[in-house]
Parts: sequence; structure tokens; C-alpha cells
Amino acid sequence: MARGLCYHKDGSVRVITNNLKLLVGGVQLRDGVLTVTDVLGRIFTRAGLYVLEMERGYASTIYGAHQYDPMVISAQQPLSWGDPYVDILIALDFDSNPDAKDQPNRDTVLRHGRDLKDGGVLLYDSSTGEIPTGDLERRGVKVFPIPARNIARDELKKDVVKNIIPVGALFRLLEFDADVSLLRGLLEERFLRKGREIVDLNLRAAARGVEVVEGVLAARGWTDAGYRLDALPVDDPRLLIAGNEALAMGAIAGGCRYYAGYPITPASAILEFMEEHLPKYGGRAMQGQNERESIRAALGAAVAGVRSMVGTSGPGLSLKVEEFGVSGVTETPIVIVDTQRAGPSTGMPTKSEQADLFLAAYGGHGEIPRIVLAPATQEECYTMMVEAQNLADKYQCPVFFLTDLNLSEGRKVVPQSFFEQYPVVVDRSTLLREDDLARDGNGYKRFAVTETGISPRLVPGTRGAVFKVSGSEHDERGFVSTDPSIRKAQMEKRFRKMATYLAEDAKPPKVYGDPAGRPVLVGWGSTRPVLLDAQQRLAASGTDVAVMHFTHLWPFNTSAVKPILERAASVISVEQNFHGQLADVIQSYCMVPVTRIVKFNGLPMYVSDITGGVNQILAGEVAVVRVGVEAPVPVKVSEGD
Amino acid sequence: MTDGAQTRPAPAKAAAKIWDENAVPRHRIQWCPGCGDFGVLAALKMAVAKLEITPSQTLMVGGIGCSGQIRNYLNGNAFHGTHGGALAYALGAKMANPELQVITLAGDGDTFAIGVENFVHVCRRDPDIVLVVMDNGVYGLTKGQHSPTHGRGIDKEYVLEEDPPPFSPLRLALTAGATFVAQSFSGDPKHAAEIYVQAMQHKGFAFVNDFSPCVTYNKFNTYDWYREHVENIPAGHDPADLGAAWALLDDFDKRGRLPLGVVHAHPRGKKAVTRLPIWEHELKDADIKPLLQMFR
Repeated sequence: MARGLCYHKDGSVRVITNNLKLLVGGVQLRDGVLTVTDVLGRIFTRAGLYVLEMERGYASTIYGAHQYDPMVISAQQPLSWGDPYVDILIALDFDSNPDAKDQPNRDTVLRHGRDLKDGGVLLYDSSTGEIPTGDLERRGVKVFPIPARNIARDELKKDVVKNIIPVGALFRLLEFDADVSLLRGLLEERFLRKGREIVDLNLRAAARGVEVVEGVLAARGWTDAGYRLDALPVDDPRLLIAGNEALAMGAIAGGCRYYAGYPITPASAILEFMEEHLPKYGGRAMQGQNERESIRAALGAAVAGVRSMVGTSGPGLSLKVEEFGVSGVTETPIVIVDTQRAGPSTGMPTKSEQADLFLAAYGGHGEIPRIVLAPATQEECYTMMVEAQNLADKYQCPVFFLTDLNLSEGRKVVPQSFFEQYPVVVDRSTLLREDDLARDGNGYKRFAVTETGISPRLVPGTRGAVFKVSGSEHDERGFVSTDPSIRKAQMEKRFRKMATYLAEDAKPPKVYGDPAGRPVLVGWGSTRPVLLDAQQRLAASGTDVAVMHFTHLWPFNTSAVKPILERAASVISVEQNFHGQLADVIQSYCMVPVTRIVKFNGLPMYVSDITGGVNQILAGEVAVVRVGVEAPVPVKVSEGD
Repeated sequence: MTDGAQTRPAPAKAAAKIWDENAVPRHRIQWCPGCGDFGVLAALKMAVAKLEITPSQTLMVGGIGCSGQIRNYLNGNAFHGTHGGALAYALGAKMANPELQVITLAGDGDTFAIGVENFVHVCRRDPDIVLVVMDNGVYGLTKGQHSPTHGRGIDKEYVLEEDPPPFSPLRLALTAGATFVAQSFSGDPKHAAEIYVQAMQHKGFAFVNDFSPCVTYNKFNTYDWYREHVENIPAGHDPADLGAAWALLDDFDKRGRLPLGVVHAHPRGKKAVTRLPIWEHELKDADIKPLLQMFR
């Protein structure tokens, strides 16, 4: 959708129904941005609408920075989060700027006002005075000033209900939930145990929002806001779920019973989820005293036979690198979740990136077999995590599970039945039982050289045999050895597992459209929705491209990829990192040149980034497009770690 | 490797022999002749034999260095990973399966330098595992660099950042809240074995600092030097009394003596835990439906 497209021309009565993008912004912690979007997201989901909340706008501070949370709401599952442009902007900030007293601090309007579509809606907290919105109104934006803080503080005598006032206001201008049944239902679930009066106070706050909107509509002579949402019948309960939550549930379903983490954005939610819920399934979750204790304890649990997992983000993954080798050489299974964020070092802790592929695929001294997976959606966070648990067990090596901040924390509507009906298989056939030992009796070898490379694994405590496992090179029984022939046999055995994996379990990249003779857009992980959206938009403007999307990244599946890319007119890799890490891998394995569209400014990849980049590359202007304009920073804020 | 236990169950003497199986043959052991670690190995075998532990229920986690190799010099399951990591692997394994007898065997550099982060917090966490540190004051395997316990008994006029004075493992353990703190001397394996037995019987984290002389790279803290400086903890000492433990260390330090025996032993109240689910029948049909409700 091009910017400036006019939905609501003068004189037109067109109302857009069940298709809009909303952005709520305010001061982090104080203004309750996430409280508002959580209430909205849950209610819209219950109303049968699809919500997609994949762009995370917060800062690495507890309090005070600008926070925003965009949300796509639609009658159908949205193809992607689209572009930065929004239909409705809700600005919760209300204070004045001490550095410029004549200008109220309107971070949300200043930062995102330019992204409002012509004919859109601005709803802002006018408690400290109205702000100049002439520019926006000239573009047909309908402006609704609401003194929410003042109403809450002065009329309702309870500051916290200020968050519900814009909810009521928004529902009124969308002509949604007119009987307040959905809002009342949610408020009762949350607050009824604290007392009926809390529920009633919140409903009064919502009603005050409705009144203010009706006042503005009447004063301006508007019949509607130009947008509406209609509740749709829901035959199947739906969930609004984040990637972290989906993958944590996938781990539990897939048999993970030991989890260790260390606080780090954006992986902490997995630790908290596991601490709360894993014990219900007989498991244990531990906050390590550091990143290394976490992975070492998880490896110890895996040695004892438990399906074991750690989760972290880039800085933590760097600290765990030494243990990749331990897992690889001792053939101890472990699933390592990396919720990628912008690096290097502390980087931008609350911004999303896809720059850890090299670390996952190559990190560490020496060479080990390893598997790298990267789910694209919340659904795949669940299903591929079940797969990851089985792969780690079968191949007895680290399995990396690369998500990113936007996928980890971003939420999407998924039918509940999706989780209930997915057939979970827990396969532990590489573990030896006491009966197996009794049958094979003639001396157990932990690192037996086999055709598949996979050696049966013994759980300590199993009577009849013991293992010796060493991070040093070892013979078949596990005793330390530097004998050249043993070294060769063991290295080859370990890497034979990767050949077995490629033959038996690796999934080739999914190809959308016919790549023969066309440009192929290549991507991995969470960018699939925007790649497919861009493919459609490019087709609409007469450019046919195919999309090749990777979820199983490593070991690289050359025989599945190379023949396809060799037939393509050109290959364009779309990635959220500086170099185009997958592009480099493809070039080295497939020996085809790969041009790149890369974005590393902390903002999500937008559809227009891809379409613009593709046009530039196909026009022969450049081989690498580094997209993303500098975001304006109207108010400087210092951020922490 | 069969664990040996099945083929020869009965007499105590034969039972002790089990510990020689599935191990590097004695003539292939790669410790210098006279290495203190031989004493630890002998004491360890005596202790596990006395407690009638079976090799298959044992998990030894070895550190990096000469000392960690001990894991392969006797029967029993063994794991070995990174430098400084032994205690953390042991912690995870014990959390996963409390039925295992988990014994961590590492050196002073491994435990108190690169692995001190694990040592301190495992003292706090108090898993039911044993740690025997073979303390020789040097990094022997890399040819004699100083470890955090180097310089024991050496009076220096001044110190430099490059070569700080030794620190006390026992005091660190007490400070960090260890519930069993003891010291032994590999020159007296019988006494060491008694200490190990108590450590293995202790409900909680049991730390034994064992003076295990490096005959090649520590020419100061020799067997003879230790014999002159060690002294058994008096029979009247009450290990359950933490104040008495500190007083005992102060008294020994003042007199320039090194205590042998149990300095402190006072188990904490612990919640009983069971082995985590491992097998398919324990894992299948994990019902995640109750979790889904929170996302509605």
C-alpha cells in the first residue's frame, strides 16, 4: 500500500471495515502501552478478528523511553505486518517537555504522525493541552483529543484507569463492542476477584472515552471515523500467542524436562514460562548464575538422559560457545534457543536482527556436527521445537533454534485446535534400555563407529554397563586418545550424522512460485510473511519473482538448493543483518552469485523495503541494498543494557 | 563396557575389584610416579567400595588437568567437558537424577580460578554431590603455572598483582554457605577415604580439599612439607557449629598449621525430589491444553 493513498476523500462516506493497522504509543511503563494493546489484542481475538503484533517498539530501560506497539487487525489472517503506515494512532503520552515548555512532549505523534495514512485517525491524551495537528488534519486525519489522565485523576480518582479510557474511545469510533460485553467480560476475568467496584470503575472510564469521542464527532459533524470493526462468528477458539510462548510449549510437548536460562532480553520470557509451568510436567527449570552455568547444567541433565534445553540471545550465545564443542564431541544432545537481537556486544537489546547465523553454524574452535533451525511463525515455533527435541536426541549434537526479537515477543492469532491437533511424537530410540544391554552383552561402546554415525546412548544408572564420555578426542569406549586412525574414525563418524540428517530429516527450503528464469527472493526465519507479501505486490506491479524460504539452515542442503537456484534468473537474499549471512553461505555452497537486500537499523523488514530493493537490483543499479532510513529522534533518551 | 557388577555380585573383596574394570590399566595411568593423585584414587576406591556403591549408579565428572583424568582410572560412568565446568555439569546431572552418586573430581586451578563462579554458587545451591579438589598449587599439565592456592606457607615481603598470595578454599566454601567442608591429604589415603565416605553420606554439597602434591612442578609444598604442617582436627570439634568452624580455621592459621578432617558439616532442610521423566511412556501425552487458556 503506497503511502498517501487516500481512503477517505472529501465527500466520500467510505468506511473501511475489519482491515486496519493500529499503533499505540506512550512513555514506557508509565503509560501502559502494553496494557492497552493486551486488552485490545485479546478482545479483538475473541471477536473473531485476526491480530498480528509483530513489530516491537520498546527500549532497554524500565521507565521513561518511548514505547510503541503496532497491531494489524483483519478479518482474514494478514499476510504480513506490511509497512510502517498506520490507520489509527493512539498516543498515550501526556506530559510537557521540560526542555521546551511551549511544546508538549508528544513523542508518539512526533515519531509516528508521519506514518499516519491520509484520512486516518489520531487519538491522543490532551491532559496537558491540545497540540498543533493542522498538518495532519490537512491530510484528512480525524483528530480526537481526550484528556484521559485528567479524567482518571480528577473525576474517577484512580490514575490507573486512564488506560481504559482510550480503549472505550477507540471502540466507540470503530463502532465495536457497543454493548460493552467483550470489554466487560475481560475486565471481570481480570478484576472481579479484587471486587465488583474495580470492574465498574473501569467500565465508567471506558464510558467516559465513549462520551468524549461522541462529543468530538458531534462538534466536527462527522458521522464516523472512517473505520469500523465488526465482530465475526468464531467457531474455533483462538489464541493470541508469542513465539517464546509457542516454543516453550513445543519444548514441553516435545519432552524437554530440564531448562536453564539466564536473564536476557528477549529470551527471559522462556525462562519465566518454564519456571512456572515445567514443574507441572515433572520437569525442572533453573535460572543459572551465568550463561555458562546454564548450558553446563543443561548438558549435565542431558548426560543423565533428560531432554534438555537452554535459551538465550546473542550476548549469552557468545558466552556459551565453548559448550557447543562439548556437546558436539561428547555427543550430548541439547537444544539451544537463540532469540536473536541486534548485536554485536550489547548491541541494541530491544531491536530485532538476524545476525547470528554464522555464530550458530560456525561458532567455536574445531569442528562439530550441528543442526540449525529457524522457524518463521508462531506455529512453527511450536512444531519445529517438537522436531528440534527429537533431532537433538537422534543426532546427539547441538540443535540451534534461531528466532528473533520480533518473532519471540511478537504475537499472532492461532486457532487453539492447531496446538491440540498437532501430532507430537517423542522418539527416544537412540537411548539404550537394560534389555538392549542384556541382549548385546559383549561390551558397550558409547562412541561405536556406525554406518549412520549415530551411536546408541546409555543413561547412567542403567544396570549392566557404564560410559566414559570425554570432551577430549576419544576412542569408541570414550577413553582419551590422539591415535591418528581413531581421530579420523571418530571425526568421520560424527560428521556422518550430518549426512544421515540431510538424507533422513532435513527439510528443503520451501519454494513459492516458479523459480525457473525468474528472480528468486531468498530468506530465512521470521521474514517469510513479508517475503510472500512482497512477492504478491511485485506481481501486481508486473514483476514475477519466486520466493525460497529456509527453516532448516544447517547443515546446508546443497543438493536441494543448488539445482533450483541455478535455474533462476537471479538470486536476491533478503536478510536482517549487514552482510547477508545466508547469501554468503549460498554463494559458497551453490556457487551462484547472490545479491542482497539487507536491513540492520533495528526496525522490522517492511514489504516496501523488499519491493523497493528488488526494483533497484533488477534495474541493475546495485548488488547490495542496505535499506532503512534514519528514524527521527525528537527527544533524546539514554538507554541501558 | 559392562559395569562388572552383574557378573560378580558377592564378596566384599571381589566387590572392590569391580572398580578396576572399565578403566585405563594401571600401567597406562599418565600421572608422574609419586603423584598425589594416586593417593586420591586409592582413597576414592576404598570409599566407594566401603559404601557398596555400584559403578553403574556412579557418575564422575572430571575437570581439566591431571586430576580430572582420575575419572578414567576407575570404573563408573564418567563425563568431562570444559575447564571450570565440572561442577555445573554435575549439578545438572544430579538435578536430573537424584539416584545417581555424583562425584566431581577436579584440580585447584579448575575449581578456584576458571571455575570459581560454579564453586561459589554450587555451595549455595547445595546439590547432593561430592567435590574432591586435588589441590597442588600449580597447573601441572601445562607445566607448573601458579594456581590460586600457590604459595601456601611461603612468606613474602611484598606481592604483585601478577602473583597474588594464596587464598583459602575452606574459607571461601564456608562464606558461600557450603554445608560440608573438609580437608584431606593424599599422603594418608586411609584417612582421606574416611573423609570421602562422610562426604558421600552427607545430604548436600560436600567439598573435600585434598592436598595432593605435584612432585614435578611444586617443589615447595611436598609430601614432607605437608607432613610437617598438617594436623588432625581435634576430636572435640563440633562440625555442626559454624562459629566453631571459623574459630578452628583461625586457630590453625595462627599456628601455621593445616587442618585435616571435617571442618563443617551441617545439612540443610531439603525438599525430596525424584528423577525427571526420561522415557517415552513418561513423556508422551503431555497435555498442554491447560496452558493454552492463558492466551485467550
